[in-house]
Amino acid sequence: MGDIHEVPRPRIAAGHLAQYIGQPVCFVGRVEKIHPTGKFFVLSDGVGKHTTVELSEPLDEEISGIVEVVGRVTNQATIMCMSYVQFREDKSPFDLELYNEALNIIHEFPEYFPFG
Amino acid sequence: GYVQSPGGFGSPAGAPAEKKQRSRSQNIVPCTVSQLLAAEQVDEAFRISDVEISQVTVVGIIRHAEKAPTNILYKVDDMTAAPMDVRQWVDTDEAGGENVVVPPGTYVKVAGHLRSFQNKKSLVAFKIMPLENMNEFTTHILEIVNAHIILRKNLMSASRAPPSFSTGMSDMGGYGGGGSLPVNGLSAHQSQVLNLIKSCPVPEGMSLQELKLHLHSMSMSTIKQAVEFLSSEGHIYSTVDDDHYKSTDAE
Repeated sequence: MGDIHEVPRPRIAAGHLAQYIGQPVCFVGRVEKIHPTGKFFVLSDGVGKHTTVELSEPLDEEISGIVEVVGRVTNQATIMCMSYVQFREDKSPFDLELYNEALNIIHEFPEYFPFG
Repeated sequence: GYVQSPGGFGSPAGAPAEKKQRSRSQNIVPCTVSQLLAAEQVDEAFRISDVEISQVTVVGIIRHAEKAPTNILYKVDDMTAAPMDVRQWVDTDEAGGENVVVPPGTYVKVAGHLRSFQNKKSLVAFKIMPLENMNEFTTHILEIVNAHIILRKNLMSASRAPPSFSTGMSDMGGYGGGGSLPVNGLSAHQSQVLNLIKSCPVPEGMSLQELKLHLHSMSMSTIKQAVEFLSSEGHIYSTVDDDHYKSTDAE
């Protein structure tokens, strides 16, 4: 349970999921919808692409806004969530599009932003 | 940017006395935990890909916080590696107030010194600031890439120095370089182009053609590359068209 937090978790957008199947990743996105069972929710990334996040236990709270998920990419290119955090937006809204731009840069320059 | 600042925080009160080496980097460099873990230690100094670092900033989420009588030990996680130990010394003379423990699950920006003890790296923090605006987290990512590109590029141009400059003896690291090399982080070509543009008195500035006339040994494409770099760094700006430039520093 704590293991995944001890290894590098590349920050990715929905477009990267296919390349990271089976690997631990970190995904930041906006909550689009939550399944009534609370066992799945859908996040959109900075370019509007959707990703499904699965939970081993149903959500025990309402989540909304920007969420950062740590988990493993499944064979179906969904994310099996191990933990999540909601970004605070009480003072300023989070610019998800800018974050996506930052992701493009760190994927283009892994020598200056190494994961592991 | 702040990469050039002398790091006005100074030495933290609780830190052991530092050897006053001339080569100590004066920069405060934004880094990932993975970069800090990969930093090599030579005597008292740390280097990431040959760039000397001492004071660093890291942005991550607090995974664990433990309060002891003289210090608070945090584990800060930025996803690039396992969480890093960050120690913040508590002033035992101050009653309560000053050091409130930041709760796990909070995103923070840590400013501190990199340390290594028994081969384990950690940070001694002089400032731990909970992020109020999460866009600072995105900015930090961009600043890391930017700072490391610039610092490594400086090292490339600095490495054209005569062999008598040996690492550790001179202050070549980061922006500390002096002597006959440009201290502003520009390559020889870029400096020449910039100096010519600076010297031009007319309002519409200097054209690419004029630069080529003065710089016979430089190809047009080298000149254009230098102009593009100088322009993106803010040293020059285009005037009547994309072929004419003036210096932002002109008298």
